Amino acid sequence: MRFIAARLVHSMFVLLAVVTLMFLMFRLMPGDPMAAYISEALSEESRQSIRAQFGLDRPLWQQYLIYLANICRGELGMSFFLKEPVWDIVMAALPNTLALTFSGLVLAYLFGVVAGAFLAWRRGSLAEGIAIPMVLATRAAPEFWVGMILLSIFAFSLGWFPSGGAASPGAMYANEWQRMVSLDFLHHLVLPVVTLALYLQGLPLLLMRSTMLDVMHEEYVTMARMKGLSTQRIVLNHAARNALLPVATAFTLSLGQLVGGNVVIEMVFSWPGLGRILVQAVSASDYPLAQGAFLLVAFALISMNFVADLFYAVLDPRVSNDRKA
Amino acid sequence: MQRVPGRRLFVSVSLLATMVMFGHAPVLGQASGDPIRKIVLISWPQGVNPQAYQASQLIAQNWRQLGLEVEVRSLPWPQHIQTVWNEREKWDTTMWRMVGRPERSDPDEVVFNNYHSTTAATGFNFLGYLNPEYDKVAEEQRQSTDPDKRKALVLQAQRLLDRDQPQMFLVHPTTMKAFNKNVWAEESIVSQSGIGIRNFWTFLRATPKGEQKQMVLNSAEPVVAVSPMYIAGSASSWVTELVWDRLARVGTDGLPQPWAAEKIEFVNPTTVDVTLRAGMNWHDGKPVTIDDVIYSFEAPTMGNKVPMYKSAVADIVKIEKTGDRRARFTLKAPNAAFVTASLAKINLIPKHVWDPIMKDLMTKPENAEALPNPPAIGSGPFKMVRNRGQEEIVLDRFDGHFAAPKMERWVLRIVPNPEATLGMLRRNEINFLSDYGGAPDVLEKLAKDVPQLKVMSEVDIGFEYAAFNLRRAPFNDVNFRRALSFAVDRNVMVQAAWNGYAVAANSHVSPALKFWHDNEITKMRTGLPVARDILDKAGYKVVGGKLSYPAGVKETLKAN
Repeated sequence: MRFIAARLVHSMFVLLAVVTLMFLMFRLMPGDPMAAYISEALSEESRQSIRAQFGLDRPLWQQYLIYLANICRGELGMSFFLKEPVWDIVMAALPNTLALTFSGLVLAYLFGVVAGAFLAWRRGSLAEGIAIPMVLATRAAPEFWVGMILLSIFAFSLGWFPSGGAASPGAMYANEWQRMVSLDFLHHLVLPVVTLALYLQGLPLLLMRSTMLDVMHEEYVTMARMKGLSTQRIVLNHAARNALLPVATAFTLSLGQLVGGNVVIEMVFSWPGLGRILVQAVSASDYPLAQGAFLLVAFALISMNFVADLFYAVLDPRVSNDRKA
Repeated sequence: MQRVPGRRLFVSVSLLATMVMFGHAPVLGQASGDPIRKIVLISWPQGVNPQAYQASQLIAQNWRQLGLEVEVRSLPWPQHIQTVWNEREKWDTTMWRMVGRPERSDPDEVVFNNYHSTTAATGFNFLGYLNPEYDKVAEEQRQSTDPDKRKALVLQAQRLLDRDQPQMFLVHPTTMKAFNKNVWAEESIVSQSGIGIRNFWTFLRATPKGEQKQMVLNSAEPVVAVSPMYIAGSASSWVTELVWDRLARVGTDGLPQPWAAEKIEFVNPTTVDVTLRAGMNWHDGKPVTIDDVIYSFEAPTMGNKVPMYKSAVADIVKIEKTGDRRARFTLKAPNAAFVTASLAKINLIPKHVWDPIMKDLMTKPENAEALPNPPAIGSGPFKMVRNRGQEEIVLDRFDGHFAAPKMERWVLRIVPNPEATLGMLRRNEINFLSDYGGAPDVLEKLAKDVPQLKVMSEVDIGFEYAAFNLRRAPFNDVNFRRALSFAVDRNVMVQAAWNGYAVAANSHVSPALKFWHDNEITKMRTGLPVARDILDKAGYKVVGGKLSYPAGVKETLKAN
């Protein structure tokens, strides 16, 4: 319990630091953020009135306190550029982002864990000689390039998948859930997810492989072999299970990172997610939207970090026991 | 031994002659003013407008050869507009563009709004061009109802700008659009003068050839707002003109014609009678009344709450209801562009929807532009079904309209990737290419490979230019501006920056507006020798490789 409380306090401090940094960062950027909001035709009086309404006429420290108070109340403000509540904008894009990033991550880790375990087991084989350079190549290839290649082959040439968007033109659904479980949505999801998974699979695969190589020299694996257990059983029940620990940590951290969306994949596949909105917000000096979106990303990342810590403590009790000691 | 000094003398004389010829003569013993400070040319980021960015680099190269120090500074759009529009004393020169819109089919908007002195403080005359002679011509063309006399005045306005060069017009771009011939009957896709095939009339008349009855178009940029009170970008304007009707529309020939108005009659040059069509309804089922029409023209005058449309109603003194479907507009002065610039521009809005909104706005500092997506209830040929500006806009045919479209549905997809756009076009995922910012030759090649595609191009009403800030030296000197402008060969611009998909410009009235355009005006002489000659005659000198002011002129500004 003490371990959990300590981690929680630590996470809160990190969140406060991120929030403060974001506040300062956007205000130090060049350009007047109100340029996007205030019409050129407004009178100076109206301009000042709007500045006052947004609190931009007050000293920086006052703006900061207002900002913190609003965050505590869950108010992310109004986007300067899109002129809608930040919460609504972020929540409209979040389902698409989560569908893309979570699917991509799960696919990458499923493949990475299985392939990593296999390659560790078959160390020195022809399969490893071919697979490792391929994994490194796909990990190093720019996402937009991989995305365009997949588009070119599977959309433009073969016509198996659509070339962009999250649904067919004009497709209507009764609610968001129906849209996201529809075959149409899943059909549109395939290429972006595969692109993301190809980009992400390198880390779990190599991590799993190297951890497996360590684990396979452990005495309990030798013991399992001596007992005459099947290869499959040794790999799955003994070696892989113990090698999963760092991979699980990497998974939770990646999950947090990916909440912000993936702007490159979203641009290539015209995917209406959070990444595009984030870029738009930053380039338009849209403080509230950029801050709100980054806050969400930071919150997810810190939460997942916290979950990873807890997860680690559950998987390996030595972590929490060490603290207690 | 005697030949060496002779050769040296020959070389020295030749060098001197060369330097004199090209304006780099050492001016020993000649008086000159201060050296001209570094000039900053503000440009678009390369990724946003690659053609204009390339043009800015070429311009800077030319100007450097005149002896100027030039910095090309790319700014993101919010900073760009903030600097140019709101800090009018603080910039030297900027790349800028006027995009083609149907209401610009009448030259009044660019002739008057962009260069009249009354718009210099906060309006479109951000370059600070103050010329009483031009003002007079701009006002007279607006008031002249005789087309030939007005044409002469518009030509005169073009010549005055040619003389004064308050900006350097570069090109009128050629816009390229495409559609799928298997989906849409070719003859039903119409080209509008200066706009191209992506226009109101095409959306109305496009006739499906088979089962597919929805038009799927593309936009690279998201649709930020859909409002009858505010146009936030070109894609936003395409949607607005389909959802909200106007009393008049600019036809495919560029001339205005009655639309929601059954009749538009000029009783005299300052009195216009308008008769509303019978049987029109709003998308919520309520009837369109003459009170709604009057309210639509009154709303932009309420406080400063609808700044975008305020100038469109500025000439109206009063509007009186003269019958169930009739209203009389009284103007301050005769206005030849009234039908195009006012009746074809103001969106008709339902009073029962907008009156509460406007009353609420009157109590707040914001204006109508702060309303992102107000109720999309118009009386136009399409009605709003879905508005997801980051993803797609879906409009359905409004069957109750007096000119209901042939297609059933109009879907605008947001596709930021130009390669994917072409892939979608090839696969018929979009069947009308309405926004293409990629290389024109790639599109033409695609059309050759895919026979069902038809590409159509049109010289745009709009123009790209480099604006000078006439409030600041040395741009307050007409000779300096003329030299900088004529240093740049427009045909090189067309080829090197716009890949041949543009026509050279030296006028604010596009050749697409055939009746109004001065054909002689683009025949000006350009090139570095021309520019050096102008500078030389005006007393500018190159000292130590740097261009300096004429004798006695001091630099009074600091570089930004």
